Amino acid sequence: MKPALFTTGLLAAAALAMPAQADKLDDIIAAGTLRCAVVLDFPPMGSRDADNNPIGFDVDYCNDLAAALGVTAEVVETTFPERIPALMSGSVDVAVASTSDTLERAKTVGFSIPYYAFENAVVASEGVEMADWEGMKGKVVGATAGTYEAIWLEGKVKEWGEGEFRPYQNQADVFLALSQGQLDATVSTVEVAEANVKSGNFPGIKIVDKAPMVPDYVALITLREEYGLINYMNLFINQQVRTGRYAELYKKWVGEGEPAKLTIDGVYR
Amino acid sequence: MFNYNFRWNQALSSLPQMLEGALVTMEIAILSMAIGIGVAILLTLFRLSGNRILSAIATTWVEIARNTPALFQIYMVHFGLGGFGVHLSPYLSLLIGIAFNNAGYLTENFRGALKAIPDTQTRAARSLGMTPIQAFQNVIMPQMLRISFLPMTNQMVWAILMTSLGAVVAMNTDLYGVTSDLNARSFRTFELFAIAAVIFYVITKVITISARLLAARLFRY
Repeated sequence: MKPALFTTGLLAAAALAMPAQADKLDDIIAAGTLRCAVVLDFPPMGSRDADNNPIGFDVDYCNDLAAALGVTAEVVETTFPERIPALMSGSVDVAVASTSDTLERAKTVGFSIPYYAFENAVVASEGVEMADWEGMKGKVVGATAGTYEAIWLEGKVKEWGEGEFRPYQNQADVFLALSQGQLDATVSTVEVAEANVKSGNFPGIKIVDKAPMVPDYVALITLREEYGLINYMNLFINQQVRTGRYAELYKKWVGEGEPAKLTIDGVYR
Repeated sequence: MFNYNFRWNQALSSLPQMLEGALVTMEIAILSMAIGIGVAILLTLFRLSGNRILSAIATTWVEIARNTPALFQIYMVHFGLGGFGVHLSPYLSLLIGIAFNNAGYLTENFRGALKAIPDTQTRAARSLGMTPIQAFQNVIMPQMLRISFLPMTNQMVWAILMTSLGAVVAMNTDLYGVTSDLNARSFRTFELFAIAAVIFYVITKVITISARLLAARLFRY
């Protein structure tokens, strides 16, 4: 055998014998599609337009991430509780679904750095006397099941030891119940509260006060062990802010004003 | 590919809360069944009465209960009545929704059972001097309940499983509600729902087996 041929053969064998471990990032690029779980009854982050197409801040973030990766985006609608099964079963690659980055959840899924931060408002039924957020004590209150604000509000009701907490399945049902007077008050993100008061779909509701919670930082999520993808998403979020795209999308979906700062003074992340 | 490491100890620590939820689930199922049987007997009487309005009420009830999803029925009790200013708590909405569904199905079960009882029995009872009500109460109804006993346990199992639909009316103290609340906190979806499924299975199994044993004792000829 000629030495050159032998060397080539050896190299070919080596290449075949040791295939590099492809991770999720490789898989997405190879597949040419990024599948994002997005919650579509959570305007302005995710909803549907008149032609039933997915729109919203989260949908645009999914599209931007796919564009950065050079692949096409596929939006998979999920509810809040379905995000995790969708990820684990491999039917989506990431969730761009306003997921609050709690330590409890981080035991299960991998979080990027925060890509958005919500402040929450107390919204009350007009017939109810309520001066500030503490007026919720002893009342019938509710929020969207499985959200950061629902967990906070349920905790408050337990702490007060009076009143009742009701977790509805989606944002629309919460505001329907509030508008009908079944709920006295709810806590929702300022964005959602303002959009719903303005829309006129839910008459008889008013914004009362800001809810005194730590801002609700939300992050992109994927499987916990996909460091390559998590690193990529971190850089993506940084670039979105750096290039002004974050501010642009904030203006497009939320309105005038400054988008929330995504860093915290005095600590690394 | 399934990317998930099961951590049972974390989920199992929530077992006491879930068992409390299971008690609420059973309570709702039993109450809704009791109400359902009562209403179904009433609707059966409406049908037998020969009065056109009463039997129309019974038919409408059965048609709606059997031909629309239970989810819709429960949702309508809460948000439908809510639109008219009738505000029911999640617990009551769920209980009434399931009882409504139960009554519709049981009425049909009873109709089937009645067909298995020969007409001549009513005539015999009447000729002994019983009023129509006495004849129904003393002769027909015991047999009707006996014949439809096993189908009734079927409906009981349904009632238990239907409690999970309470989520649409913000029910959070039943087994499904508790589980989904725990899931929102920890994201341990698969362990939590697997445990919930086992609890549901055990409850329904216990009920079907004890119903069969009960039937064997009660209905000895």
